[in-house]
Amino acid sequence: MLGLFLVLFWLVTYQVKSGRLTFMEKPVLAVSAAFERIVTAPFRFADSAINGYVFLVRAARENERLKQEMDRLRLENSIAGELLGENERLRDLLGFKKLPPLSSVAAQIIAKDASPSSRTITLDKGSGDGVVKDRAVISAGGVIGKVQASLPGSAKVILLTDPGSTIAVRVQRNREEGLLEGKLERCALKYVSYYADIQEGDLLVTSGLDGIFPKGLPVATVVSVSKHEATAFQTVLARPVVRLSRLEEALVLVP
Amino acid sequence: MKTRVYLAMLLLIIPVQASLFGPLSLAGIKPDLSLALVYSIGLLTGPAEAAFAGMAVGLVLDIGSASLIGMNAMTKGLIGLGAGLLGRQVLDIASPMNAVFLSAFSLAESIIIALLLQTFYGEVPFFSLFLERMLPQALYTGVLGTLLLGFISRRKVLGALVRRSLLKE
Repeated sequence: MLGLFLVLFWLVTYQVKSGRLTFMEKPVLAVSAAFERIVTAPFRFADSAINGYVFLVRAARENERLKQEMDRLRLENSIAGELLGENERLRDLLGFKKLPPLSSVAAQIIAKDASPSSRTITLDKGSGDGVVKDRAVISAGGVIGKVQASLPGSAKVILLTDPGSTIAVRVQRNREEGLLEGKLERCALKYVSYYADIQEGDLLVTSGLDGIFPKGLPVATVVSVSKHEATAFQTVLARPVVRLSRLEEALVLVP
Repeated sequence: MKTRVYLAMLLLIIPVQASLFGPLSLAGIKPDLSLALVYSIGLLTGPAEAAFAGMAVGLVLDIGSASLIGMNAMTKGLIGLGAGLLGRQVLDIASPMNAVFLSAFSLAESIIIALLLQTFYGEVPFFSLFLERMLPQALYTGVLGTLLLGFISRRKVLGALVRRSLLKE
């Protein structure tokens, strides 16, 4: 038995050096996603019944609030439209390449975090809907993660807090760049120079340099910065802008 | 029968842990069903069998999540071994002390995982992780796991079935 434990430890250290093994990943996803649909179906039905009928009373109040919200967003949208037009004209003038339009697939989350050492979710959309490996997954608030594996009717998403996740980001305030790695509940901004100006509260947005996430999506907020004279870098921890534990739906960006 | 029970367990552990326990999450904290399962196998069988069962459950969790293959297999194997030794010498399935031991095992597993990740990748925010995730999850797993164990031990037919199927041979 001791030998088995040693083999497992060797296997873990081997993957740290050479990358995670994806042995049997798709068959396990197929079996678990099929069961997850069956297991979650009664909860989803009950949830929709409660939202549809029992809480109907709240609908009028909610409707009023949404109308006000829509008026505000219309105004913001018209300002944004003006700025977008101006931006496009300036890009044309400077001869910049046109940015491709974003389109997305909406998906429901059918399962979360099966293992204590990783942070993943399962979506009810898969390769049949254009949800394939390394597609960006976002919500209204910002980045959630990226697709790790997909099958025709389901996909596994690795969240930005997973230790295997890496996202190219920059500080919105001063455009300092770094790589954001998952650290379970938080993330760490890596390879930030000792002399870079990073402050608590800074918003980190995608830089687009990883080729997966488009530029400018909110990712995380800096919660602590510490400098150690022994290293050339500083330790920056950040909290995701999206509350990952409360997610119910997600958008997968597709070309 | 015993093989079938273990196969069903391995087949169902990910979907049940990932989906059925979603509605039971409190402020984003979910109890660790797989840990409670390995712990109960330890109490019902013995250290060696529970360690192998723990490794198998952990391996399935590793493959089905994004974790390094072997990480959960190692920790769940250790939990099976520990629970097996406890079950042989100290505890039975109906003891209220299971809440304490389940919480302790859950906390120990989270700390081992955090230490391994710190060793391999660095910069794991240990104290915030401990307060925001490890401790609440350990307490929740302890309470809910004990309720489940109590339920199994009171249901004589179900309890007998589980015992017979696991202890057979």
